[in-house]
Amino acid sequence: MFRPQRCVRVAATLAAISLIAASCGGDDAGITLYSGRGEKLIQPIIDEFEEASGISVEVKFGKSADLALLIDEEGEAGEIAADVFLSQSPGSMGFLEERSRLGVVPDSTLALVPDNVRDDGGSWVGFSGRQRVLVYNTDAVDPADLPSSIFDMTNPQWKGRVGVAPANGSFQDFVTAMRATQGDTNTLEWLKALDANDPVLYANNNSIVAAVGRGEVDTGLVNHYYNYRALAENPDQPSANHVFAADDPGAVLIITGAAILADADDVEPAAQLIDFLLGSSGQQYFATKTFEYPLAIGESPANNVPPINFSSDVSNAGGIAFEDLAGGLEATRALIAESGLES
Amino acid sequence: MVDFHLDVAEAAPNDERSKRRVTSGARRSSWVTPSRLLGLLIGAGFAGPAGFVVWRTVRLGGDLANVAKEVPGPLWRTVQLSVLVSVSAAIVGTALAWLVTRTDLRGQRFWRIALVLPLVLPSFVGAAAFIAGLAPNGIIHDALSAIGITPPRRFRGLGAAWLVLTAFTYPYVYLPVAARLIALRSSLEESARLLGLSSTATFFHVTLPQLRPAVFGGSLLVFLYTLSEFGAVQLLGFDTLTRVIFATRQTNRALSFASATVVLILALAVVALERTQRGSSRPDDRSTAAVRRSRLGWRQTPALAGCSLVLLVGLVIPIASLATWAQRGIAGGRVSINDLMQPAISTATVAVIAAVLAVAVVMPIAIATTRRPHRSSDIAAVSVIVGFAIPGLVIALALAVFTLNTPVLKGLYQTSALLIIAYVIHFGSQALASTESAVRAIPHALRESSRLLESNPIRRFFQVDFALMRPGLVAGGGLVMLSTLKELPATLLLSPIGFSTLTTEIWSSYEEGFYAETGAASLVLVAVSATLTWFLVLRRSEVVRG
Repeated sequence: MFRPQRCVRVAATLAAISLIAASCGGDDAGITLYSGRGEKLIQPIIDEFEEASGISVEVKFGKSADLALLIDEEGEAGEIAADVFLSQSPGSMGFLEERSRLGVVPDSTLALVPDNVRDDGGSWVGFSGRQRVLVYNTDAVDPADLPSSIFDMTNPQWKGRVGVAPANGSFQDFVTAMRATQGDTNTLEWLKALDANDPVLYANNNSIVAAVGRGEVDTGLVNHYYNYRALAENPDQPSANHVFAADDPGAVLIITGAAILADADDVEPAAQLIDFLLGSSGQQYFATKTFEYPLAIGESPANNVPPINFSSDVSNAGGIAFEDLAGGLEATRALIAESGLES
Repeated sequence: MVDFHLDVAEAAPNDERSKRRVTSGARRSSWVTPSRLLGLLIGAGFAGPAGFVVWRTVRLGGDLANVAKEVPGPLWRTVQLSVLVSVSAAIVGTALAWLVTRTDLRGQRFWRIALVLPLVLPSFVGAAAFIAGLAPNGIIHDALSAIGITPPRRFRGLGAAWLVLTAFTYPYVYLPVAARLIALRSSLEESARLLGLSSTATFFHVTLPQLRPAVFGGSLLVFLYTLSEFGAVQLLGFDTLTRVIFATRQTNRALSFASATVVLILALAVVALERTQRGSSRPDDRSTAAVRRSRLGWRQTPALAGCSLVLLVGLVIPIASLATWAQRGIAGGRVSINDLMQPAISTATVAVIAAVLAVAVVMPIAIATTRRPHRSSDIAAVSVIVGFAIPGLVIALALAVFTLNTPVLKGLYQTSALLIIAYVIHFGSQALASTESAVRAIPHALRESSRLLESNPIRRFFQVDFALMRPGLVAGGGLVMLSTLKELPATLLLSPIGFSTLTTEIWSSYEEGFYAETGAASLVLVAVSATLTWFLVLRRSEVVRG
């Protein structure tokens, strides 16, 4: 028979156990990492770090923007739990910098990367990069027809043939970069022209690459690695990346950055973790497993990914201080809304 | 637990008087009785996140001009979608419940169980599965092509969001309505048939009015679910208010919180409307007499086709689509089911605890609203219900801010205990309706006679009341459990470090573009949900046995 009292007791015991288990996890010698990068794309390298250094790392995964909000609330209460923050989006890093939640990355760590992929003030350092590209369906598009500038994607020839994810973080980061190099007026004009050219709107990069792969739309504005991953999953997919000219805003490099948080308890081990991410095994992990660009000086990308020379090839490679742009991401969002692209 | 004993002890002796008071002076009676204070206290807990939203909106000083510019469009789309989905879910859920309880539909036992299952899929997974299924080489695409239909090139917008959300939420109506139909005697319907009404007319004029509270309660849950839904509508490109909340949460916090306040006001209005419109329901009157079932006759085939279609859209297609993803990865040796064991166990554990706790916490409110209605119990009930309309992310932030800034509660931050509290606040509304009808299900006469046999009110509660309420409590707890299993945003923010659930696994795989892992983890989630639902809910509820 079913005995309610027993049920209640079992539930209470379970609750107590989970409470105790949770509170036992607390503070040993380790550091706490809030990672906006998903577990599958970072945990293996964290495991390697733990083994190599003997420092234990507790990781909380989530969306960069949500974690940044949480860190901000923790900071507001004077209780930042995280020592290190990894952000997929410069916007979230900029948000925390603006809210004075970031500490300083040691000079020795900053020196591992070219100076255009780190913060001038030293509050964050890039450890991997994603380039904005045009993915296209190889059955539907002749590569010879593809323009060298993203400004040409608003020509009548591309009407109804471009997939865009205007609400997606990396599209907004790219537009922010465009504002930095081209100014707000030109950027708005381009956004309006793009909107008038009947683009196909998607939720994110993945949906665009999948849609291009199955011929639903001919081209799409995305980050470079989605196509390499889609090809790894299904090598027969008829899709390829087209990179705009090196100085074109359409070819901007978006950086995944690491920061040490203000009043982190363990600055030394935190810096060690970032050094490890920027070391050879860390950088090659990102190059070969996630098809991203390694950023440390002297590291090269995976075989089928075209290399970038940060000092010359990509004029605006991550060197844009997003937080210096008037209005930052909010102004970008307003611009996208004003162009009519978003709704 | 002490709490609701108090309430029962206090409520029981006054029962007959309280019935009279409902009609006379109930609204004027005192607010300061232990049970009312307890109800208000619980209600205050549930209202916490809503209070946080309003407080933040005021503090951040939402720029009204900006709100007036950004909010109306998404608000209108939110209203459209929520109304459409709740109306269609009400129709589908009620029709299915009637078919499986009141007719001679073939394969009834199978349908009763299977038709609950579409609730187990997180809606963003369902949406993703549909999008992939409609793509060339996708299973829907190929199936449609095979029978000579040109598949749609795009699956986006209001129509797509409406279809997907209806397919995954109608069980919120189906479950309570089926439970109510089982508990209702069919004598009125029999009289109606004897007097010459057709079975259709009997349904609309006799059966349906008795189901009104159950249908309204279920549809309200669907409405609130749609209101706070983000994952699926984003994937399907339908721009609602939750999109504004999420897109501006960092870049324009004033606008984000102002939008959340608008969602809150909309939810309050709809909850208030539902409470005034649903009407009263007479207590269940189980009889031992067999329920008279309508003979479907020639309608057997269309009825079966209808049930199959619902199941096809809500369960078979998405699962088949996910299975093709998973199969590619398992065949390639990249996906190991073993890695999913730990998340599966932790998911199941927190979900069961949250379900039990939610039922226990809303019990005093359910007892108050059904036996001793008073404005205080209405306020408490509304607070519980509104928790469902606030996006999980906002509830998580509210609890984080609350614990971080309250010295004695700091230890709770990022523990499973706080996570479970978040689930209870978010999903307590799903337990409330079922618990209310469970309380209502106890015949007055039985409670009177039990009072003579057992003087200890606590023991009486467990031996008599609890036993009779069990089917309703189990159904309510079951809904909370299923919702907890698939919750994502609050889980990500509030979970203890190193804690992962199947849904967080699904999300992280999908987010990074690992579809094979997404498929495998989703299938495990469906399997875990279905197993728990069978052993903990359906086997104990009358939906199966009835």
